[in-house]
Amino acid sequence: MTTTTAPTAASADAADSGKQLSLIDCDVHNAFSSPDEIARYLPKYFRQRGLSLPGRAGFSSPLGVARADAVPDEGGKPGSSIAKMREQLIDAYNMDYVILTGGGILSCGVHAEADYGAAVARAYNEWFAEKWLDADPRMLGSLLVAPNNPAEAVKEIRRIGGHERLVQVIMTSATRTALGDRFYWPIYEAACEMGMPVAVHPGAESTGIANTFAPGFPASYFEWHSNLSQNYMGQVSSLISRGVFCEFPQLKFVCIEGGIGWAPHLMWRLDKNWKSLRATTPWLTRPPSEYLVEHIRFTTQPIEEPEKKDHLLQILDMVHAEKTVMFSSDYPHWDNDCPVHGLPKLPEPLKQRIMWQNAAELYNLKPR
Amino acid sequence: MPQTTQRHTVCRASELPPGERKIVEINGRSIGVFNVHGNYHALRNICPHQMAPLCQGKVTGTTLPSKPNEYQWDREGEIVRCPWHGWEFDILTGKSVFNPHKLRVKTYKVTIEQDDAQARSGACPASESGEDPSVETFPVSVEDGLVVLHV
Repeated sequence: MTTTTAPTAASADAADSGKQLSLIDCDVHNAFSSPDEIARYLPKYFRQRGLSLPGRAGFSSPLGVARADAVPDEGGKPGSSIAKMREQLIDAYNMDYVILTGGGILSCGVHAEADYGAAVARAYNEWFAEKWLDADPRMLGSLLVAPNNPAEAVKEIRRIGGHERLVQVIMTSATRTALGDRFYWPIYEAACEMGMPVAVHPGAESTGIANTFAPGFPASYFEWHSNLSQNYMGQVSSLISRGVFCEFPQLKFVCIEGGIGWAPHLMWRLDKNWKSLRATTPWLTRPPSEYLVEHIRFTTQPIEEPEKKDHLLQILDMVHAEKTVMFSSDYPHWDNDCPVHGLPKLPEPLKQRIMWQNAAELYNLKPR
Repeated sequence: MPQTTQRHTVCRASELPPGERKIVEINGRSIGVFNVHGNYHALRNICPHQMAPLCQGKVTGTTLPSKPNEYQWDREGEIVRCPWHGWEFDILTGKSVFNPHKLRVKTYKVTIEQDDAQARSGACPASESGEDPSVETFPVSVEDGLVVLHV
């Protein structure tokens, strides 16, 4: 792989080029059909055991993971076919860019054997480089790391983080210790060095060494899936209050697929408490919600669908969606949102911010 | 105001056995024709949630309303689940099984008609056979009539 230095943030306004962006999808799942595809990139010692990742507590989605109509014509897992992804998503909706976030692999970051988990992350990146990295100029990649092994994660970020088509570091949102902990700071430092945002994605909650949800174990896939946002709330709260964004003022942190509706509550509660308890976190020199708006980015899917559509528009206003929210479909998963029908009708300027401008600015994307 | 419907031959009854479905295009509308336990039903192939191709979804049963920790599986073969989000619709009525948004999918009348050569004005709309099917003759049996959609 050749590496190039990540450019500094540029304005997404491409009027001067005559071309205009219109749709960027920030969560698209490329998949491998067989574990062997990844395992063959493992170092010899680990290769003997193949790909072995932690699973959930016995329940799974009755719908499966993927949409029923996304099985590739040539067989294999949904998300494994470049052609099918173009046909059903990129070409179908005339997308400028899609950010590929992997699939079935994030839980390497909650593996009890942290060295094996880090080796899996690296193997995945190698596989990705071979199969996906140059597959289509509209497909951009995420550099996978195992956050429970920061030292190896840092090596991996420095190894390939400069590649211009790898636009962010990605890791599991499920952890044993909250992501604001200084244990993880080397990862944030390396990502900033490479000019990359750090994204988290759900799926490994309640598996491997990760904590389960605050009240205890969920008893069904339904309960598990509905609680994922709870974990995100705790992660964002820890990132802000423990000073991650004070230490790394360039860091942008992407909360993929963790919901949006909870964010106003957290912003206001943090602000209210900060007024009384600021002395305990003296590094926070501004209201905590300002750090959130500046540093946190949310992806839309699975968008909350309140009884009154206006309520969602109000929530988008509360979280400063014109800065913080980016469209995502989650193709080809069962809970995906359609790029055309997934979101309610938005005011035009906000729609442009959500559908492409925020992502273009975050990932420094220009018309091709 | 009721609109007059037209007859559209879908296929032979033997080509659509119980549990199977066929998706056809009629006047630009995609419609799924289902054989449920020997009876035929047709639904618009659009999920009202996010416009997904509903009729490509899994044909299955569902759990009936029950007390906590009770699971009563029923209606096997009468429910189609949207291929995108798994929303359940009753194939017999087009109604959403749990209807939080008062949703329903348009249904159409389907009949089985005897296959006689004069009545057979066209082939299955989904087949692009260039032959005039009225030229060929086939053994006629009432057991294998034509599935006709009224749209």
